[in-house]
Order: sequence, then C-alpha cells, then structure tokens
Amino acid sequence: MDSSSFLPAAGAENGSAAGGANNGGAAQQHAAPAIREQDRLMPIANVIRIMRRVLPAHAKISDDAKETIQECVSEYISFITGEANERCQREQRKTITAEDVLWAMSRLGFDDYVEPLGAYLHRYREFEGDARGVGLVPGAAPSRGGDHHPHSMSPAAMLKSRGPVSGAAMLPHHHHHHDMQMHAAMYGGTAVPPPAGPPHHGGFLMPHPQGSSHYLPYAYEPTYGGEHAMAAYYGGAAYAPGNGGSGDGSGSGGGGGSASHTPQGSGGLEHPHPFAYK
Amino acid sequence: MRQARPYSGIFCGGVSARTGPHALPLARIKKIMKRSAGEAAAAADGGARMISGEAPVVFSKACELFVAELTRRAWAATLDGKRRTVHREDVATAVHNTDLFDFLVDVVTADTAGGTGGGGHDGNGAL
Repeated sequence: MDSSSFLPAAGAENGSAAGGANNGGAAQQHAAPAIREQDRLMPIANVIRIMRRVLPAHAKISDDAKETIQECVSEYISFITGEANERCQREQRKTITAEDVLWAMSRLGFDDYVEPLGAYLHRYREFEGDARGVGLVPGAAPSRGGDHHPHSMSPAAMLKSRGPVSGAAMLPHHHHHHDMQMHAAMYGGTAVPPPAGPPHHGGFLMPHPQGSSHYLPYAYEPTYGGEHAMAAYYGGAAYAPGNGGSGDGSGSGGGGGSASHTPQGSGGLEHPHPFAYK
Repeated sequence: MRQARPYSGIFCGGVSARTGPHALPLARIKKIMKRSAGEAAAAADGGARMISGEAPVVFSKACELFVAELTRRAWAATLDGKRRTVHREDVATAVHNTDLFDFLVDVVTADTAGGTGGGGHDGNGAL
C-alpha cells in the first residue's frame, strides 16, 4: 500500500494529461492523503538544514530536489518500518521497538547506520531522560489508575527501610514499582510476558517480571521511559533542587500523563507520600 | 534552541518541549510509521500495531544519516554535470547508481515521469 501514498502526487503532477481511469483512481485516493499532505512528509526546513550541513557553502538546491528528498525520506521510513513490522508479526508481538528498527536496517543493507544509531540510542537513554519523558507521553499506554498491584506495598516498605541509608537507591527502586505496574497494564489478559529475570540495577535483588531484551534490560520502553523520566526528576529534585531545566521538562511530561501520576506530583518533595497513596 | 544546536543538545541539557535534541519531529515520524505498519498489520492479522516511543528516536537520527548520504551522492552527480545546483535529476542519478537505494527507484522515477507527463506508476517498489 506504500505505492498508494505516491499516486495522488503523480496524479496531481499529470493533471489533465492523465487517462480517464487513472484520473478517477487518483481522484478517489486524493481526498484523504491530500488532507494529510503535511503529515506525509518530513518538514522541508529540517530536510534542507541536514542537506546544507553536508554540502559546500556555494552549493544550491533546486525546489524539485528538496521535494524529491522529502519523498525519499518518507519512503525510507516506510521501507524500514515494513521490515520491522514483519519481524514483529513473526514473533507475535504488537509493539515495534527501537531494536526492531535497528534489526530491519541491518537486514536491508544499512549496516553502517546500526552502530552510530545504537550509540545514539544508548546516549539518549542515559542523558536525555527528560526529553524521553516529554517525547514519549503522547505514545504512552494509558495505565489503569484503579489497579493496585499486589507487589506495590513491598517496594514502599523497602523504600522506607533503605531511605536513611542512601538516596541514590531510591531511583532504581522507583523503576521497579512503575515497571511492574505498567507490566500488568500492558500484558493483562493478552500476550505472554517475556521470561522473568533478575534486574540489572545494582543493589536490588528482587526478581523482575520482565527479562532482558535483545540488547538492553529495558523491554518495551514507551511508558517505562516516561516513568523513568519522571522518576529521574523526582529523585533529582529531592537531592538537587537547583535543577530547574530538568524540572520544567519533567513537569510538562507529567501534565500529559494519566491521572495516576497526580499523587506523585503533589508529593514530589516528600518521597514517602507517593507510595503511601498506592 | 532546537534550531541552533542540532548535535550539542545531546551532550548538554538543551531540550525543547517539541522535538528535544532530534533534528526531525518525532510525531511526524510516528505518523508515517503508523501508516506503514498499520496497513500491513491490518491486512495480516487485523490487529493494530503499536510503536515504541524510542523507535521514532532511532529514525530521527537514521533519517539524518540517510539524507546526508543521499545528498552527498546527489552532489557528486551535480559535480559530474559541472553545475552548482542540485536538481531532481541528480537525486535520481544518485539513487540509480546506489544499490542500497533501490527501494527509491519508484519514488524518483514517479517524480521524473510526472515532470515529463508520461509513463505509468507500478507498485513494485513498495513490495
């Protein structure tokens, strides 16, 4: 069906020269794609900026070349996504992950891209937790506010026992709590969850429902990433109050989240409170 | 912030609410992915496909690399023609000369055909 996304453009370019049958077909398909014409391509300003980065200063780019590259980028995304999607279907999974995208690229000949992209993804996960939280909010799966996981009390108890010892321990603890909650939300009554394995966070020996994925311990990152960002913010706020920029980013992400995040927001400065409400 | 620091945002805290340090908007990438994956998934098992939040992040960088490589090859074709302006034909030449970009032949061919007003469009490239 990728070809259908280009037929309207061809029809528009041909105009009256197109045959009757072709014109009818193009007209039928033109309505919906035309409305989302802007959504079909990458923004041309971004594409031009990338092009100019690799061209000498005196180089010029014609308008038709810009448009052609826009089309090529969209086709590239669809091409890779199609391959990643096939892999998900074979493995009976419903979510296309970053690892699926990297696998599809190596399979389709873009081997040179996989290593820089892997490093980019790793760096993104390490340093841009706030951006990840903001970016992931629209795609986050809605969590059930009323659902109370049986294990949710244990993390609270562990938190209280570990509180006086070290503040750094709270952050990974927060991970586990939210991860289990999302795990229940994502796999309740549907797909079989991945095999359980020990978590990779130092200091915690509690068995983790989700095992390691192919590359990294964080399987099915979307909502977890968002939670991780807020966890990073709340953890950091307690011990680094001067981090204003990070707070702004996380606050925006929290605003976009579901109602279940509100208690944590109100209890941001007092760590025990979020768990007491659960 | 997003305009001025396409790369440095990765290393220091330069994050904008819309796209962060990425050169391309993640929401737009996700829409294209959802269209491509959604159609295939609907045709196969009738189920909707979900997309991890990190997949558009990977694509954001991948598309930068892709545009950069395609632009460099198009510029090489421009230089072969003793010109300084990159035209659509240069992009088409770059695509035809590179096996890696075989999946784009229909894209550049359709554009060229549209310009000349002749030829039909086959859907082989999409498969």
